[in-house]
Amino acid sequence: MRLAPQEIPSDAGFQIAPMIDVVFVIMLFFMVMAGAVKVEHELKTTLPGNAETAKETDMPDEVTIGVSESGQITINEDPVGQPQDRELEGLFNEMTKMAQAAKQSKTKLLITVQAEEAARYERVINVLDILAKADISNITFSVAEPE
Amino acid sequence: MAGGGGGGDGEPEFQVAPMIDVLLVLLIFFMSITSAQVLKVDKNIKLPVAVHGVKRDDKAAAGLINISWDASTGQAKYKLDDRELDINDKDGISKELAARKGTNEKFRLLIRADRQCQAKFISKALEWGAEAGIDNIAFSGLNRDE
Repeated sequence: MRLAPQEIPSDAGFQIAPMIDVVFVIMLFFMVMAGAVKVEHELKTTLPGNAETAKETDMPDEVTIGVSESGQITINEDPVGQPQDRELEGLFNEMTKMAQAAKQSKTKLLITVQAEEAARYERVINVLDILAKADISNITFSVAEPE
Repeated sequence: MAGGGGGGDGEPEFQVAPMIDVLLVLLIFFMSITSAQVLKVDKNIKLPVAVHGVKRDDKAAAGLINISWDASTGQAKYKLDDRELDINDKDGISKELAARKGTNEKFRLLIRADRQCQAKFISKALEWGAEAGIDNIAFSGLNRDE
């Protein structure tokens, strides 16, 4: 049995309803993706070294933050917080106080982050992140030589 | 002078055309913020979280060193952009970094290391940077955890 060919209307026209459906679906996709997007952030430091200058310079307040293999953080060799503590509230409070004191006395605050050789990169980034939160930018990073 | 005001009688009709305009604008907005932030990171590297870091400036010149971590051997693998580095060729790496830096004082070394990587392996990359005369170092992290 042969079916009669269906007639295609000559003026089918542009259908708006399916287009809106598709646009909605695409938009929902991008809305969901936008919330889950991961962005790369960077934490800036400099290498420790000697700068040769012709003029006399003020000596900055130098603070050494140690990062041990176990994850213990120290400020000038005094332990701060717990090794597994990611929030590092104690470090943040101390750093904020130091930054304010340096600002009031119009001196520079120089932070040296010194990690032990076997310290995890994640822990170093925790510390640098807290320093960024405390709005401290004059940071150098070094890895301690084994004794 | 009175404005158009419409017909007055009955309910105003639902206008499809302005709705499509708004929809398309929203669509373009979400498309742009999603596609502009696609992260191109080595899949072997699980970056740590750095919520308070600054957003990466793609326009600024940087030497990108990817450091992946092999937990079974306790060793790290280094890549300069996508090319694997021979860690014994310290001079060659430093020369390449120095050539990339050229006279650009703002050139920085961007370290992208796995969160489990040990600091001594990071130190090695910093040594190459120091040899090449690069003292601006940036460490990479993510805005949110996976």
